[in-house]
Amino acid sequence: MAGIRSVLLDRARRLGPERQKLIRPGWQRHLLPGGVAFVMLALFVYALDRFGFGFARIWNGLERLGFIIGFMLPPDPKGNLPAFAWALGETVAIALLGTLIGAILAFPLSLLAARNVMTNRIVQFMSRRLFDGVRGIDTLIWALIYVNVVGLGPFAGVLAIASSDMAGFAKVYSEAIEATERNASEGVRSTGGRRWDEIAFGLLPQVMPVLISQVLYFFESNTRSATIIGIVGAGGIGLFLSDTIRTGEWQQVSVLILMILVVVSVIDFVSARLRFAIIGKRG
Amino acid sequence: MTLEVQSLTKRFESVTALDGVSFTVPTGSLIGVIGRSGAGKSTLLRAINRLSDATSGTITFNGENVSALKGRELRRWRSRAAMIFQQFNLAGRLDVMTNVLLGRLARVSTLRAALNLFSEEDRAIATAALDLVDMADYAAQRAESLSGGQQQRVAIARALAQEPELILADEPVASLDPRNTRIVMDTLQRLNREFGITVLVNLHSIDLARAYCDRLIGLQAGRMFFDGTAAELTDSVVRDLYGMESDEAGAESGPTVAAEPLPQLEMAK
Repeated sequence: MAGIRSVLLDRARRLGPERQKLIRPGWQRHLLPGGVAFVMLALFVYALDRFGFGFARIWNGLERLGFIIGFMLPPDPKGNLPAFAWALGETVAIALLGTLIGAILAFPLSLLAARNVMTNRIVQFMSRRLFDGVRGIDTLIWALIYVNVVGLGPFAGVLAIASSDMAGFAKVYSEAIEATERNASEGVRSTGGRRWDEIAFGLLPQVMPVLISQVLYFFESNTRSATIIGIVGAGGIGLFLSDTIRTGEWQQVSVLILMILVVVSVIDFVSARLRFAIIGKRG
Repeated sequence: MTLEVQSLTKRFESVTALDGVSFTVPTGSLIGVIGRSGAGKSTLLRAINRLSDATSGTITFNGENVSALKGRELRRWRSRAAMIFQQFNLAGRLDVMTNVLLGRLARVSTLRAALNLFSEEDRAIATAALDLVDMADYAAQRAESLSGGQQQRVAIARALAQEPELILADEPVASLDPRNTRIVMDTLQRLNREFGITVLVNLHSIDLARAYCDRLIGLQAGRMFFDGTAAELTDSVVRDLYGMESDEAGAESGPTVAAEPLPQLEMAK
């Protein structure tokens, strides 16, 4: 019996001109991917050059970084520990409240933006674009706006996080909703269920794991954001951080950084446990 | 010149999927593996390809101990023992031609493959394989845009591009309609006859197994239950193999024994 290779090669030789094109597709097919790769590389090199990227600058900066780290040691709160702890608690509270408010408001909005729930294309498209717009404005900028609207303090921080998160959540939720299988909703409809029943019993159980893990993930990342927005006066530990950096109190800066690190990793750990407990192995 | 499976055992956490299975397959035969869902048919084929390793036992091919292969030699063996899957396992977003060229991967460097720099010979083999299964017209289409039967034919072309010595087809027709079932089974038979490739095919239709296979191997709960020709597979053996009640089998016996396993167990795979 003839080998597979020789039989196939023999067959290939006898194929018509259309098939020969498949065998010898020509170098032109590399033109587009090659061109794109070249342009990307050129842009990358150009941008590095324009931003004055240089190993010499990094090297010189390293020396200064070394000095700063030296000033930070040993960490010493200089008696401000209670104030720091209170402010850190405020930061976590801002993150938690902002995330929860954003997550709750986002759910009805996400239904408007999900193609398989909102059949009106215009509403669906417009709400998507609206979320993109709101999301396009960073939490820090929202904080600056709300500080002017409701005054300095944690309330402005909560509003800032809720605003930008609402849009972020709505986008993620609506994509999760679009990725669901229709079967379960169809099953609910076939039993004579209402539209809301379809959403509550067909759709929600499918997206719940995604929603929960997104909320936990946003909460983690918002704890970091909440330290930053404190710098513009929206409450929390950020104000202390910017003040001590400005006045060169490096030993206190290191205490603040360590506190933030501990809290963020605790939240990380707890939310991983929570996610596992709520969603189970399949999450 | 044979495939030899010796006391192959596979244990998952609490389940024994294969329990001391032994048999010998002469080169060039077309063998059907039958048994109800969960009997260990898929586990057997996947163990032979070394896609997932058995807990114990040995697999020998032409005297070579396949179960001990590692690294490059292992990948080489996988390409010699081509798999065909129930769900086709194509890269849906890649075009048909690229999917078939993936059958050459064991012989081509990843870099060359990623840059689409397959040699003219590789392309000739892939094109001829596509032509052989009558799918060359679809070469530029995305695999996921094809129907199930078409996708399975592309998967067969990919297997053929591997220049395999053995084809392991795991329920290749279970998600296809009767016409495509015929096309796919005919193609497997043709590869067996024209190229002398040994074919092991898992089937849950007894009728198909009888019609196409020289020899049938029946598995029950991971153990060898039957090994013989279609003629030797009597209705009473089928009944025992599938654990059917006698009246159930009676209703389904006659010229067309549609020996479907208990339907509610189908999902348990």
